This record gives sequence, structure tokens and C-alpha cells, in this order.
Amino acid sequence: MSLVADASNVAVLAADPPCYARTVNSWVCPEYVTRYAPELWEATVQHVLLTVTSVVLGLVLAVALSLAARHRPKARSLLLGSTTLVYTIPSLAMFSILAQATGLTPTTVVIGLALYSLSILVRNVLAGLDSVPDEVVEAATGLGYGRLRLLTRIEAPLALPIVMAGLRVATVSTVALVTLGTIVAYGGLGNMLANGIDDSFKAQVLTTSVLCVVLAVLLDLVIVAFARLVTPWTRGAAA
Amino acid sequence: MKSTTLRRLRRSAAALVCAAALVSLSACGDDDNGGGDSSQGSVTLSGQNFTEMQILAELYTQVLENEGYDVTQKLVDTRDIYMAQLADNKVQVVPEYLSGIGDYLNDQANGAGSTPVTSNNVEDSLDKVSVLAEGAGVTLLEPAEATDQNAYAVTKEFADKNSVTTLSDLAATKQPIKLAAARDCKDRQDCAKGLKEVYGIDITEVLPLGFGTREGKDAAANGEVQLVQVATTDGSLEDDGLVLLEDDKGLQPAQNLIPAVNTTWLADNKGAADALNELSAQLTTDKLADLNTAVDVDREKPADVAKKFLEDEGLLG
Repeated sequence: MSLVADASNVAVLAADPPCYARTVNSWVCPEYVTRYAPELWEATVQHVLLTVTSVVLGLVLAVALSLAARHRPKARSLLLGSTTLVYTIPSLAMFSILAQATGLTPTTVVIGLALYSLSILVRNVLAGLDSVPDEVVEAATGLGYGRLRLLTRIEAPLALPIVMAGLRVATVSTVALVTLGTIVAYGGLGNMLANGIDDSFKAQVLTTSVLCVVLAVLLDLVIVAFARLVTPWTRGAAA
Repeated sequence: MKSTTLRRLRRSAAALVCAAALVSLSACGDDDNGGGDSSQGSVTLSGQNFTEMQILAELYTQVLENEGYDVTQKLVDTRDIYMAQLADNKVQVVPEYLSGIGDYLNDQANGAGSTPVTSNNVEDSLDKVSVLAEGAGVTLLEPAEATDQNAYAVTKEFADKNSVTTLSDLAATKQPIKLAAARDCKDRQDCAKGLKEVYGIDITEVLPLGFGTREGKDAAANGEVQLVQVATTDGSLEDDGLVLLEDDKGLQPAQNLIPAVNTTWLADNKGAADALNELSAQLTTDKLADLNTAVDVDREKPADVAKKFLEDEGLLG
């Protein structure tokens, strides 16, 4: 009985326009996901690559800048001030200006997003380094640790939890910001999202938005797992 | 012992992160290469990212791939982002609108707000815009008959009841008219200002509901407005119960679809220009409206719609 009903439903559906057609325009539309799977996959891969590259570049820059500035109060406030200032540049202007130098390339997006991530990462790297207790540094120095060994063996591990917390925020924020790369043709899921909004293509808007959220959550989980792996002594403490 | 292992682990982790960053950078760089033989070299095609330009970009891409080019598409938000790239030969081909690019180049060359060089006359506009384009290192190829102009529509009932088919007819009814249009419509010669001054239509209010939007069309259907601004290539007007009023006094500048190419690149790639001109020769406003409908209403993919059109017109021979 139910089989018969299902069969007739399928027949009716086949004759009707698909749920992604504008006459139907459903928000939730599995047919859309199936039909646009290759495009969605390609956009998601681009989204992940842009996010990871930007955050890694941002982290490298943030660590280098923080290490250079941390014991110099003037450089420190300049660094904090300038990274905050960069964050206030509207993304439209940022990508348009960068495009003059680096063209319509992923590099344009990566540089822009890395600069934006600095405002979060620099703060956390500095806070992480500050959180290392003076007694610990003194004890290590007393034990004959040189500056490099002090940094890599004592300060870095102790700063790691706060740096990782910053990395999580920066990553999630970058996943959202990548979409704006559509301004220069490299926006990952943002390219499809922007088109969906323009054409009131509801299935596309919802699907790409959900994928962005899922991506942010997954990347966040990856960082949490990585942080637990490299800081085993924090396990058991509140996350 | 244990610390050595840890150090090694950290080093390899660092190397891995660096490698991942490098790989991802290069991987982003060389996606959407269309494959096929690239005996004619590679071409970067840009343009604005909305339905009609996506279709045109696909048409151009497939025509050029058929000629043996390796085409990369980079559709962006606004014209000013790709125009600098086109002048520098970082982008070689862009689908354009005659007066759209004309007004842009005119503003760039003579300052914003300078007297437009474009008009309702295609040949005359093309002559003047071509001069400006050459100055920017850009050459305009042959315009298509297809033109995407601002147009004004009324509901079918309104048209029948008042027996209007042209904008002059509408003015002759002497009715007060509310218009749904783009935000900047009020002071534009091709919008409310021109409709008042050139046609003498009594426009009492402009609702800023956007250009050709669902909201604007719904406002017309509900009777909140009598006139709604849409595009001549809007393929869904019939479904929406709207009819276009003819621009019988030639208020709208010519917005024919036209390939804009980098002049230096063109010198060595005449074959590509010939192929794009052949495409332009087949493209009419009605055909373009059909392609827009297929993408906007049926939600077909621009690439599929373009392929079918080119096959039907015999342009991929």
C-alpha cells in the first residue's frame, strides 16, 4: 500500500519542476544538492584551502611580530593599534586595493584575510606569552636555558592554550570572511552564496550557508583536537 | 631520548604545515583549467558576476575553447575591479555592455559626471566608445543585436485597459504614475528624470525597490505602482504578467552586448576575435532573454545553457 503511494509520488515529482526551480524555490532541496554536487564540492575545497592558507600565514606573521615587539612597549602598542586599524578597513576596499597589486588571484584573498586574522592572533600570541609566569622564566634561565631554548621549550608550550584559543576564533571568523573573496572571483562558497542572494535562489543560499557553518565547526574541532594532542597536560582542565 | 622524538615530531609537523600552505596556494592557483588542447595559449576571461554575464562568460569561454584556447574564468563583483586588469593584459577578454563600458571609460577619461558619449544610436555610440577604449588599451569587437537596456513595464491588465504599448501612450493617459525602480532612479536621465522630461509622464513617486527585482514586480502586480523598471532581456516578464512599453523616443542608451578585449593580445589572436564576432552575430535580445529564463527560472547551469545554445546555433563546428 505504502509502496504504491510512494511510486505515484515519484511519478508526480518527476513531472513537476524540481524544487530548486524558481517557481518552487524551496529552501531545503535535496535535488539541488545532488545536481550541484560538483560545484558545491569545488567551492568547498577552495573555501578550505583559502581559510587554512590565510590562517597559517596570519599565525606565522602574528608569532613573528609578537616576538619582535613583546619586550618593547612602544612597538607593542603600535602593533596592537595597527592590527586593529587593519581590521577596520572594509573588505570591499581591502580586496579592491590588493587586487591592484596581486590581481584576480587567490593570493589577493589570502593576504587580505591573513591581515584581518592578525587583529585576533597578535592579541592572543602576546597574551599567551604574557601568561608565562616570571618565576618559571627565572627558574629556566637559572638552569642555563638560552633565549631560543627558553622560547621553544618553556614559553611556547605554556603560551599554547591561549594561542590555540585565538586560532579557533580566527579560523571561524576567516571561514565567514572567505565568502567576501567573491569580490575578486575567489570566495569559495561565497561565489555561490552571492549569486544565490542576487537571484533569490533559496536552495543555493541555504545549502552554501549550512556548508560554511559545518566547515567552521569542523575546522574548530580539528584545532581543539590538535590543541589537546600537543598540550596533554591541560587535559582534564576546563576547555 | 624522548625529547629528541618530540623535537622531530614538532619539526615534521612544522614542515607539514608549510607544505600544506604551499600546496594549497598553488592548488588555488590552477583550478578551473578547462582541459582540452591549449595550442592557442591561455586566456583569462573576466566580467561581472550576475546571471546574464555568467551566461555570456560561458558562451565566450566555450567559443574560445572550441578555437583551442585554455580559458580561465574570473567573474568579479564590479566593473572597476576587472578594467585595470584588462588594460594590463592580465585579463584578455570581457563580455561588456556598449554604454556600460562607454560611460565607465568616459568617466575615467573625462572625470565622473562628464557628458555621456553614448546614445540610443548603436553605431554612433560604438564609434565614440571605441576611441575611448583604444586610449585604455582595450578594443571593442562587433556588438550583438542583443541589448540589455533599462525598460519600463506595466501589468498586462493595465496595458489592455488603457491600451498603451509605448511610453508615449502612457504619457498620453495623463494618469499619475508611481514607479518601482533602482535607488538612484530619481535623478537619472534614463530613469524618472528622463521619463518626466522627455515623455512628460506624471511620475508622482519613485519606490526604490531595485532594478528588476521581485519586490518591484510584486508591487506592480499588487497595484502599489503602475510602472516597474526591468531589463529588456528579462526572460520572466511574461510569467510575471508584465508587458514592456516601447522606448519610442529613444531615451535609453544602447546597451548591446559586446566583447571587449585587450588590444595587445588581439594583435596575435585575430582568430579568437572572429569566433567571438560570429557569436555576437547570432545573439538577439529574445534569444538572450530565453537563456536568462533557463538560468533564472529553471535554474539550469549557465555552462549547460550556453553549450546548448552554441550547439543549436552551430557555433561549435
